[in-house]
Amino acid sequence: MITSSETRVPPGTVLRGKWNGRTYRLERMLGIGANGQVYLAVSGLRTYALKIGMQLEDLQAEANVLASLDQRERKRPPFLLDVDDAEWQGRLLPFYVMQYIPGVPVKTYLAEHGSAWYGVVGYRLLNRLAELHAAGWVFGDVKSDNILVTDYGRVSLVDYGGMTAMGRSVRQFTEVYDRGYWSAGSRTADPAYDVFSAAVLWIHALDGKRLLHMTKMLLPQNRHPRELMALVRSHAELKTMESWMERALYGKFKDAREASDHWRERMQAAAKDALQKSRGKVPGWMAGLFAASLLLCVSAAAFWLLQ
Amino acid sequence: MRQILLITDGCSNVGDSPAIAASVAQAEGISVNVVGIVDEGGIGEQGALEIAEIARAGGGMSRIVSPALLSHTVQMMTRQTVQATIRGEVNRELKQILGVDSAAELPPDKRAEIVRVMEDLGETSELRVALLIDASASMKPKLRAVEEAVRDLTLSLQARRGESAVAVFHFPGERSHEACLLDLDWTDRADRIGQIFGRISMKGTTPTGPALLRVVEFFRETCGKLETEPQHNAPARRDDTDGMRSDYVV
Repeated sequence: MITSSETRVPPGTVLRGKWNGRTYRLERMLGIGANGQVYLAVSGLRTYALKIGMQLEDLQAEANVLASLDQRERKRPPFLLDVDDAEWQGRLLPFYVMQYIPGVPVKTYLAEHGSAWYGVVGYRLLNRLAELHAAGWVFGDVKSDNILVTDYGRVSLVDYGGMTAMGRSVRQFTEVYDRGYWSAGSRTADPAYDVFSAAVLWIHALDGKRLLHMTKMLLPQNRHPRELMALVRSHAELKTMESWMERALYGKFKDAREASDHWRERMQAAAKDALQKSRGKVPGWMAGLFAASLLLCVSAAAFWLLQ
Repeated sequence: MRQILLITDGCSNVGDSPAIAASVAQAEGISVNVVGIVDEGGIGEQGALEIAEIARAGGGMSRIVSPALLSHTVQMMTRQTVQATIRGEVNRELKQILGVDSAAELPPDKRAEIVRVMEDLGETSELRVALLIDASASMKPKLRAVEEAVRDLTLSLQARRGESAVAVFHFPGERSHEACLLDLDWTDRADRIGQIFGRISMKGTTPTGPALLRVVEFFRETCGKLETEPQHNAPARRDDTDGMRSDYVV
């Protein structure tokens, strides 16, 4: 009943649910998470994301989280569409089916579309986290791979393996993004936990090399938010968000809503600064043209007057 | 729930068989997990075999990792063992009440309820983890990583709803009749854990078996009477035979 992480179900395999009877043809693997593998699957004319679990109870726990989130957020189409087991090569594969979200991880998106998108992607991410928090959940495993970005910076969270009820211990996390790892607080699920990870996400996405180098060089007892702040202050784009980063890394935001408001303010201020800078400095070519046109005008006037 | 976590980098060479000692622990309701910690050199075939065998005998799991991965591994193993223990118990109940072998035989909507209960128990039940650290000479350069892993584990346990505590032993002890020595008594405060292995002198012997037995005794002394496990009890479900759980992706 338990599959191992080496088990790959080949594309083209058709899984038939033992309980609900629906069939899915696996097209290709989309990714491997901590608790299972996610495949692109087709059933009828529609495309879905299908997750096969390595461990039945872990998978069911995740499905429970999705189901309870669907219940809470009734206005949107549900995430969780089916939960079932399929027999494959003499094994029982537990799986669940979700809507398929085409998109790329945050880091890839910024690499493809330019880091200028990080403001709006970050803003949308914080808003989504705030919604989860309002529903009583903490996402837990905020990291680039778990945040898919689609057209124009729209954000979807995927892999809910870390999602934890407020006040419990975070179910799954990634060390570099973990508040406890940086001696910045507990591993109890609260809104500030996600906001902290979101701050590390941007350092990772915009200055990943230096961040990873730092995690290798720093002694465990020296891991501290001030080290992360040193990276922020010495990076042009991150620096525009310095005050936000400081509050996020030191756990000073009351909740993700407050963090999102402050993020938006910083974005606006940064945009204004950029505009001001561009106004203050007239580009050389423009000055040159102006001088040339002035000269032309004067000489034309002189020519006309002298005639 | 009780667990012993043995961290070692080689083979036992003194005293009773560690597998027997681990089996004693399991009979007392204590799961035994083992981490083999290695540098570039590897752990050797015999060491790897012994580690897997101790975990099997102790109803736990085993892994062999580099010092850099120790914290994460210890944290994950402890968590998974808690879940496996709870699952074993709940499935036993299910068998008694419903006559099914496990939650897998129930339809997904019923299963959802069972798993909810398992999760609650996993989060709220009392948990004690005693770490037993091999302090033979070759372990010396790795003790920093071990200290960090202890701190990290305590931080994770501190976040649980249920009462949790960690204790730390190293072996061998100072004198020849001591199998191991207590370095840190039961605590749940990560911030109080400073240097654990300040002044230990590294010795050549590795009495893994006797040290394990001593820790079982310690559980008995400090946690009152231990429940012995019921007969015909399938220990927590394992997913493969070599004692390594494979559902571990970094």
